Order: sequence, then structure tokens, then C-alpha cells
Amino acid sequence: MNGIHDLGGRHGLGPINPEPNEPVFHAPWEGRAFGLFAATFVFAGYTVDEFRHAIENMDPAHYLESSYYEHWMSAFEHLLTTRGIVTREELAAKVAELSKETNRCC
Amino acid sequence: MLLTPELVPVVTSTGASARVAAHVAPRFRAGDQVLIRNWQPTTHTRLPGYIRGKKGVVEKDYGVFAFPDTHAHGKGEKPQHCYSVRFTARELWGDQASDRDSLRVDVFDDYMDPR
Repeated sequence: MNGIHDLGGRHGLGPINPEPNEPVFHAPWEGRAFGLFAATFVFAGYTVDEFRHAIENMDPAHYLESSYYEHWMSAFEHLLTTRGIVTREELAAKVAELSKETNRCC
Repeated sequence: MLLTPELVPVVTSTGASARVAAHVAPRFRAGDQVLIRNWQPTTHTRLPGYIRGKKGVVEKDYGVFAFPDTHAHGKGEKPQHCYSVRFTARELWGDQASDRDSLRVDVFDDYMDPR
């Protein structure tokens, strides 16, 4: 698809600035997001190509404003909810619960 | 199948390779001149837009892999060869590009024709 992900050759996006001594993960949640692929792709029955397509189907504005592993999380949400493994309601409830915890501790 | 602790080293060392152990005849070989098709599906593809309609030269045959365009949509692996194809910077970006630069892109059999 001619989506927002196909950025090759576009002007005006600014330089690519490689991070010196870039860590493998910038925060612990990124490591968990990485692990979710191996933990879900077999039992949820999707291929790496379907996973990539789920990222391409993100809202274009959200795609440009979010980080690499946020793209992954968006794909997991799409793939697991469309298969009925997780419902949108369960996802929203968990987000609300975690937001409360964050507010309490900080 | 659930991911168990014993499976983790296996999965993390081999990854999710799309290589397929099938014998499929290659349509091209190193040195062949190719023209990239004007392929614009609304579905998944690994063909970058900026090489459509461009001329390149096959540099290397990587072997046989699942075809992403069908594999992403439950339409089978359609195993085929994937190649490293070289494009000059001027072919892709026009006359303002350096005449010394070139770019290599991984291209599947179904994305190109001989020229």
C-alpha cells in the first residue's frame, strides 16, 4: 500500500541523527514490547508480513509521531483484538488500571 | 502454541526467518538488467515506491523466501527468489544526485521484468 511508512526519497523530514552508544532498549517497556512478538505470533497465528502490514495501517499522523516500539504495540493491539484474543474493553480497562498506578506512585 | 522458557533461546537465535526450503527456478541472475514494475497494490508489499518504473542491475541472488505480498494476507507463501538490485542515485533521484552514488534494494521476482 502507498502508506505513510514508505518514506524513501521524501524531502523535509530533517536529518537522521544516529544516537551515540544507543542502548538496545530505551526503557524497560520496549524490551517487553520486543518479547511480545515471540510470545504471540505463533499462538495468535500471524506472520511477520501481517505484522508489518498492521503497522502500515496505523493512523498516518500517529505513525509519524510515535516511536519504533509504539508502532509494534499498535500492531499487537490490532492483531490480538481482531482475532478476539484480547477485547478493546479489556485493553482499555488495563490501560486505565496502569494509569491509576502511575498516578499513585509518581 | 505458547512460548515456554525452553523455547526462548531457539526463537531469539533464529528469529522469524521467511526463508523457504523450496526449489524454485530463479527468473534472474547476477548481471541481469531489470525494470521494476509499476506495482501499486492497496495491500501489503515490500516494493518501495521510489524504485517503481526504475532500471537496475541484479547483483546477487539471496535464495528463496515467502512472498510478503501474499503471505501478509493468508494467501500462501508463493515462494520465490529475492535479489539485491543496484540502482544508480541518478536513476532514482535525478540529475542533482551524485554520479558516483548507488543504492541496493532487496527485490522479489514478482516485482520486476527483464529489459
